[in-house]
Amino acid sequence: MAFAPSDPHSDATLTAHKILIAGGFGAGKTTLVSAISEVRPLLTEEPLSTASVGRDNLVGLPNKTTTTVALDFGRITISESLVLYLFGVPGQERFWFMWDELAYGALGAVVLADVRRLDDCFPSVNYFETRELPFIVAVNCFDDAPRYDLAEIRLALDLDQDVPLVLCDARQQASVKNTLIRLVESIAAGSPATLAAQGRRLTIGR
Amino acid sequence: MPPPDSSPSGGRSSGRWVRRDSGPVVRPYAVTGGRTEPADGEVLDVIAVVVAMPGGDAEDDDPQRRTPEHRRILALCQRQATVADIAAGTGLPLGVVRVLLSDLILSGAVAVIRQRSAGLRPGNDVLQEILNGLRAL
Repeated sequence: MAFAPSDPHSDATLTAHKILIAGGFGAGKTTLVSAISEVRPLLTEEPLSTASVGRDNLVGLPNKTTTTVALDFGRITISESLVLYLFGVPGQERFWFMWDELAYGALGAVVLADVRRLDDCFPSVNYFETRELPFIVAVNCFDDAPRYDLAEIRLALDLDQDVPLVLCDARQQASVKNTLIRLVESIAAGSPATLAAQGRRLTIGR
Repeated sequence: MPPPDSSPSGGRSSGRWVRRDSGPVVRPYAVTGGRTEPADGEVLDVIAVVVAMPGGDAEDDDPQRRTPEHRRILALCQRQATVADIAAGTGLPLGVVRVLLSDLILSGAVAVIRQRSAGLRPGNDVLQEILNGLRAL
């Protein structure tokens, strides 16, 4: 058969890397992913359309009427052969089965924190610490949230000194970009063994 | 062939079928013929890279083997694509895409170019390339 001029096999092999965007319900994951990339919903086969009424804590989030029913999925083209993917991982406990799969082989993670509900990001922090997946904590500066010193927040989170802690505005592309840069810089500076520690086989189902 | 009688038996056995956690799982897998696991048992990573193989029976139109969903996936594989790209591009759930992709891989229509290898931290050159790309945004 005839080959089209743009024979896909003559292209450089595509390399894809992923970064997870974690954090509690309403911390700004969707906003962050859409600030820096064309975001598209990625459906999973699980019943994510479950109504969240009565399940998700809406205190302090008057405008949040829906929860993330699909993964937020962003794609940043670095070069013709290198693509960076952002996956917003739902923070609620009932979605945790997805974390292992998404964390597998990930470059690292950004944990988004909301100072009004700081404890919401504890599970994410614990998860990445346990898996030794490189991560940073980004405090999303909501307009109506009180401002705290980063040192205070670090203390409240009981965060190791070697985990970068940054302020970010998830709505602003420049701010999100700097947050991702900070993460990748910390990965580059980190131990080569960090990712090897979480090399686990994917398994079907749960 | 008409589908077998699919009367909603769930209505009778009340609590057993109406739990919201178990309900909607079934429907997405209608396009896989009910299969929930890839035919080759290999679970593709969400960012595994696949591509259509030229001449790899891409013209197979037998509806038994090649459903419209298979063809939509195949169309997206004409360029190198990740499993996530294909799921987002078709609107099909990830698990469904994996099952259908495995059919295409088994038939030779699609090849896996890059499955994520376990725990390999990318080299500093790759990280630097990512940093440069991010800074240029």
